[in-house]
Amino acid sequence: MIVLENLTVRFGGLVALDAISAGFAAPVSGIIGPNGAGKTTTMNVISGFLSPAAGQVLVDGTDLLTLPPHRRTRWGLRRSFQREQIADDLTVWENLLAITDNLRLGRREARAEAEQAMEFAGVAVIRDKAGAALNTFERRLTDLARCVAGGPKLIMLDEPAGGLSPEETGRLGDLILRIGEVSGARVLVIDHDVDLIQRICAQTLVLDFGRRIAFGPTAEVLDDPAVKAAYLGVDHA
Amino acid sequence: MRHRALAPILVAVLLVGLLPGIVGGQWVKIFTSTTCFALAAAGAGFMYARLGMVSLAQVALMGVGGWVTLRLNHATGLPFEANLLVGALAASVLGMVLALPALRMRGLYLALVTLMVAGAFEVIFTAYQFPNGGAGFWGVGTSFSAPMRRPLLGESDTAYLRYCLAVGVLGFLLIELHRRTAPGRAWALIRRSEAAALASGVNVTLYKTWAFGLSGFLAGLGGGLLAASLGLLDAATFKASESVLLFALVVVGGTRFWFGAIVTAILYRVVPGLLNNWGVDADLALVFFGAALLHAVITAPDGIAGQIAALFAWRAPHDRA
Repeated sequence: MIVLENLTVRFGGLVALDAISAGFAAPVSGIIGPNGAGKTTTMNVISGFLSPAAGQVLVDGTDLLTLPPHRRTRWGLRRSFQREQIADDLTVWENLLAITDNLRLGRREARAEAEQAMEFAGVAVIRDKAGAALNTFERRLTDLARCVAGGPKLIMLDEPAGGLSPEETGRLGDLILRIGEVSGARVLVIDHDVDLIQRICAQTLVLDFGRRIAFGPTAEVLDDPAVKAAYLGVDHA
Repeated sequence: MRHRALAPILVAVLLVGLLPGIVGGQWVKIFTSTTCFALAAAGAGFMYARLGMVSLAQVALMGVGGWVTLRLNHATGLPFEANLLVGALAASVLGMVLALPALRMRGLYLALVTLMVAGAFEVIFTAYQFPNGGAGFWGVGTSFSAPMRRPLLGESDTAYLRYCLAVGVLGFLLIELHRRTAPGRAWALIRRSEAAALASGVNVTLYKTWAFGLSGFLAGLGGGLLAASLGLLDAATFKASESVLLFALVVVGGTRFWFGAIVTAILYRVVPGLLNNWGVDADLALVFFGAALLHAVITAPDGIAGQIAALFAWRAPHDRA
């Protein structure tokens, strides 16, 4: 269970998150909203890049906000960014090791975890390819492999399908649905594209201008008139 | 893949095995000091290439290593290697202190901070000079100068050049070892973005400090070796402007290839020597370096080393594979 409790973030006079509460029980859940809704802000709070003015983030009872950012990774938090973060001068394999290095695993264990994650994401065949030589899809897959490595508890994906074709997005969606099989981690997907969310997320939180406008089973939420209004940008949809 | 591993081994064997045998006269000392500066250049180069951090205090840190090595040499009867190691560690610790502002700054501001540190050391070195066997903490005598002991394996100038080259090879191996293991991977992520590094669980503070420590260690090693080559050190060698010049030549030499630091040191030490031999004012080298820097910035971002590599169609480790 991922519980956001009364999460509030202010930048000067701007309220970026206004007392957001939600409890995600599904293996794969989503957060959607138009640009500037507060999706990435939510993620940055969970990552520890931002400190909220108020509120709590509890994952299976652990209060994440009490841990410094790099410790959260050791605890089991993984995230991807809107722009994938593959180091160009490392190979795919080294990009994987760059995360298992920091997990307090033995050498053999760390390598086994990295190996398994590469297999899962289907990038084992390009393990010796340099980051700089990867195409967009390979980068996204490597990023996903990095998130799955080392026994994660919570994986946050920020627009994981950015720059991908519909077919590639489909394959990525299948992989995200299978994350539960290999790691038992909960997944939180953030996107403004509802197609992917609709297909893979059982529960969805909708944000607009930092406020929660809907939360619940994805199909119901997407039918909500307030959500449609936020998405179509009209006052009376 | 295999021939790429072969080239460094071949260069190391040729340098350590043959170079001391061929060169004679003043060139022995010139190549010894070239080796010392290659170590410092390698430190500055890897920080720039791997972390994108500019340190303009590298020659000043050499001075620190040299100062501590000389101080211990005259104050204690410890073997050369012990003094050298402590000197390098002192420069390393100082490098890590320098890392403190680096934790918050990047680019120009960090470069300025390191430059000011270099300036401070220029003042200290000029005011107090380097220990030469005199009394007191600063150890400077005015009417005499005791020589610096050399290692048992390198008593003669030629043997000492070989000794320095061997230490140089170890220094380069130390960098390579880092590049291939966890610190190298952490540095690559930090260069990509600090947020990405944090999200991957990298302790950014630790690894940035570590990079400065390693770079300072190599500079200190070079400074200590230089002290024993010359017997004594002169404050003019470690001016802040020399740190700036060395960094400019690091860019000209090329940072993404291991032999870039060797090119840098050859430019810094051998080229002025050659000009002297030809009866040309060695200061003209500065004009030549300025032109080379412009050339590097505009047309050869990987420096001379990058151009050499392109000639042999080598690739930088993992780049553009």
